[in-house]
Amino acid sequence: MSEKYEIRLNIYALTWRLPIIFWQLIFFVGPVLFMVAMSFFLVKNYRMNEAFEFVNWSRMMTRGFFWDSYWYTLGIATLSTFCAMCVAFPAAFALAFRAAESTRRWAIFLLIIPFFTSYLVRTFSWFVILSESGVVNAVLGYVGLGPFKMLNTDFGTLVGYMTLTLPLVVILQTVTMANIDKSLIEAARNLGCSPLRTIWQVIIPLSKTGLIIAAIFCFILSFGDFVAPFYLGGSQEPTLPILILDTTKSGQQWPRAAVVAIMMMVTLFVIAFTGIALAYRKGKGSK
Amino acid sequence: MYRPTLTSSILTLNRRQVLKAGGAAVLTTPFVSRAWAATTEINMLAWYGHGEPDIVAEYEAANNVKFVPKYYAGGDNMLALIAQSPPGTYDLILSDAEFVQQLNAAGYIEEMNPDDYPLDDMLHEDFSQFPGHWADGKMYSMILRGGHLGVSYNKNSVTAKEAESYSCFWKPELKGKVGHFDWHLPNLGQMSLYDGNGASLWNLNDTQWSKVQETTMSLRPQIGGFFDYGGTFNGLKNGEMQAMVGIGDWITGVLEKDGAPVASVIPKEGGIQFTESYSIGKGSEKAEEAKKFIQYMMSPAGQVKSAQMLAYPGFCVTKAGRAALIEADLEEAKRSHQIDGDAQDPITLIKEGRIHYRDIPQQQTLEDWNDFWSEYKSA
Amino acid sequence: MKQSQTLNFILGIYVVMIFAFVFAPIIFSMVFSFNSQRFPTIPLGEFSTEWYEKVLADPDIWKAARNSLIVSFSTALIATFLGFCTAYSDFRYNFRFKGPYLALILLPPTIPLIIMALAMLAWLSKIGMSGQLYSIIIAHSVLTAPFAMAVIRLRLNQMDPDLESAAWNLGGSEWKTMRYVIVPFCKPAIFSSLFLTAAVSFDEFAVSWFVSGLNSTLPVVVLEIVQGNIDPQVNAIGTFVFLTSMTLVVLAQLFFASRQIKGMQS
Repeated sequence: MSEKYEIRLNIYALTWRLPIIFWQLIFFVGPVLFMVAMSFFLVKNYRMNEAFEFVNWSRMMTRGFFWDSYWYTLGIATLSTFCAMCVAFPAAFALAFRAAESTRRWAIFLLIIPFFTSYLVRTFSWFVILSESGVVNAVLGYVGLGPFKMLNTDFGTLVGYMTLTLPLVVILQTVTMANIDKSLIEAARNLGCSPLRTIWQVIIPLSKTGLIIAAIFCFILSFGDFVAPFYLGGSQEPTLPILILDTTKSGQQWPRAAVVAIMMMVTLFVIAFTGIALAYRKGKGSK
Repeated sequence: MYRPTLTSSILTLNRRQVLKAGGAAVLTTPFVSRAWAATTEINMLAWYGHGEPDIVAEYEAANNVKFVPKYYAGGDNMLALIAQSPPGTYDLILSDAEFVQQLNAAGYIEEMNPDDYPLDDMLHEDFSQFPGHWADGKMYSMILRGGHLGVSYNKNSVTAKEAESYSCFWKPELKGKVGHFDWHLPNLGQMSLYDGNGASLWNLNDTQWSKVQETTMSLRPQIGGFFDYGGTFNGLKNGEMQAMVGIGDWITGVLEKDGAPVASVIPKEGGIQFTESYSIGKGSEKAEEAKKFIQYMMSPAGQVKSAQMLAYPGFCVTKAGRAALIEADLEEAKRSHQIDGDAQDPITLIKEGRIHYRDIPQQQTLEDWNDFWSEYKSA
Repeated sequence: MKQSQTLNFILGIYVVMIFAFVFAPIIFSMVFSFNSQRFPTIPLGEFSTEWYEKVLADPDIWKAARNSLIVSFSTALIATFLGFCTAYSDFRYNFRFKGPYLALILLPPTIPLIIMALAMLAWLSKIGMSGQLYSIIIAHSVLTAPFAMAVIRLRLNQMDPDLESAAWNLGGSEWKTMRYVIVPFCKPAIFSSLFLTAAVSFDEFAVSWFVSGLNSTLPVVVLEIVQGNIDPQVNAIGTFVFLTSMTLVVLAQLFFASRQIKGMQS
């Protein structure tokens, strides 16, 4: 990245730089700004009217159930990220270090398949698998273990989140770890590091960037998902996305729903930026 | 040194062959061969099922029209969609009665001519001037069908006797197995009836409203979840939920026909009626065709179809329709009690004052009720 | 060595279990699509193809499928192009406002879909571009461009930064270098990004429902059925989609593998 090329304002650079600016300004920034403006609108006779009032904000921020939902969503999304990252790690490790190149490629391609199948349909399949008279309980019944209530609980919500995020997390972790300079790992082993110590002190720090990015994606997906906590968790308790949908049911209160959405957006921005800053920070002697 | 291996030649050959086969497959799919020559398209905005073949196929064939349905789940989504679409996008709008008021207040529907419709053949005098369908002496919506909401339960854990009162929801054996249909209106309405508010169930003063909130909160420990259409079906069918608040025969009827041990009854405290009506979209260019279809649905043949709708059942509102149903499908008429003289005849129940039309709250705003509902869910 | 073998075995089993978790709902959905019962429970009913017949006979579903293909194909092209431009700009240049520039493409996934959906609908209506297929394409390209950018950027990370300068020194113009050095290097990433963005677009229902007006895509049809009917038709549709994408993936793998074999020709 030599500086002398950057000073010329040339067509070449602009060709690559400008498309996204135009596209996003019109089709992304526009709607977002409109959404922020919408949070100040008023609803009269079930029609939104353009206005600039703070009543939507004051009403929503003073509601107990909003903050209950906020902290709950934050908590369960964090839990979901933690679970997904831990569950994915051994598999990603195996695929990155123990599998042949072609196996790894096939595995990654196979993991993209769920993206092509309906998330809704997959969620509905879990009903039959997890219900008290479903497959899992039937199998456990043979071994004499009592029927467990899995649906309409936090467990159900977590299973739903993992259905959404696990493929992506495994792919990202695998790709990150597969790209580590293998000679560094060899060096560690040659210097007498046990396998666990190698993982902890060499592999993870080296893949820090990719792992954090995977965690951020996982958190964002879980935080904004409506399907899992609604269908598999029975809205016990309602998360923020559920609250958004509910708010729209109080007589076209889209402005108030916009307030909840903005709060979600700000939270996610803060977490995403903090995460990215952490991911790209050069730690002391990490390389 | 390159030696063409078997694998590489298979791979290169396969690519061409596959592309050819794929192309042929795409060209022969049915949608290309359908020739809808000069068919009028009518855009319909409705709950799922109203535009399906079992309802419209006969009419489409006889009148050379094609319905293009857009299904919504929840009147609020419908309103938002209309609000943001150019006027005249939707020719036919099927909505719940209480949304007609909102549609009209926002100016989305056309005025209708009462002479075009069989208002004198209604099974109940209320239906000809149904609340909300008329404004300033003008008609804006035609009532199509209705259904009743009461106590829905699994016969294996609640007896018919217990189901005669909403109090069965508080049965200790049902802890964690009672579900809510996820909409505040019918649920709080049922709680209001349980509190004994009767006909003024939607018109609560502050004391009464506090009492309803208190009663509802006391039910919270019993609740296993809040469900939409799909979740409700699954919960009841799988047995995770043994009772449901806020629904009626429109769900249990379908499950019953499928063999599940569920039922709905109107308890002694009273039940709620949901009503579905057709309106014509403002600015629609196919208002004539829309009108003709509404007239068809109000005719005996249409009323029978509506009662037999596969997605969810509803009862007929015209005398001729009921007579036609008894003749065409006595079993269904019996199952849904649409026979004059039957104790659970929906019309008789209305006449006895045990049924109250679903409406929006009068002294509180929809936001008040909805905010409480959100609070209840988080409790 | 023995230790490592047992460990490998355990890891192998673990990977299989992960795949089982990921694919179980899909397999079950396929099984239910052939089940005669309308509401699947254990034990299963009889084998029946009625749901497939219902799906295949419905012209609305065919239309929705066609729309889905058009939308995801177009989205993939646009999003990959936008992603490539941005990734390359990020890779090659340092300029003022680079932070906000990157934020512009990376922020869309942070916004809850339903609000994005309504905002898109309201905005596109304002500028008279709503209710058509291209409305969905526009919305989806905004949503999926970040993924394209991330994938291509990761690939560019692996490129020796001096490669470009070397090409210039050898007399190539910037454009030629782009065409003959950078793009070929990024080919695998471009390919993956096409697939990934198509996939995300293919299954997206929230924004599509609002923005598409009367032109449904397949996920919108599934959403409508699920919210209004509960019918194994959705399982039949799901199975079709699954088999189609499996075929595509296998074909893509064979293309990739055959190109590698071709590359070995001397």
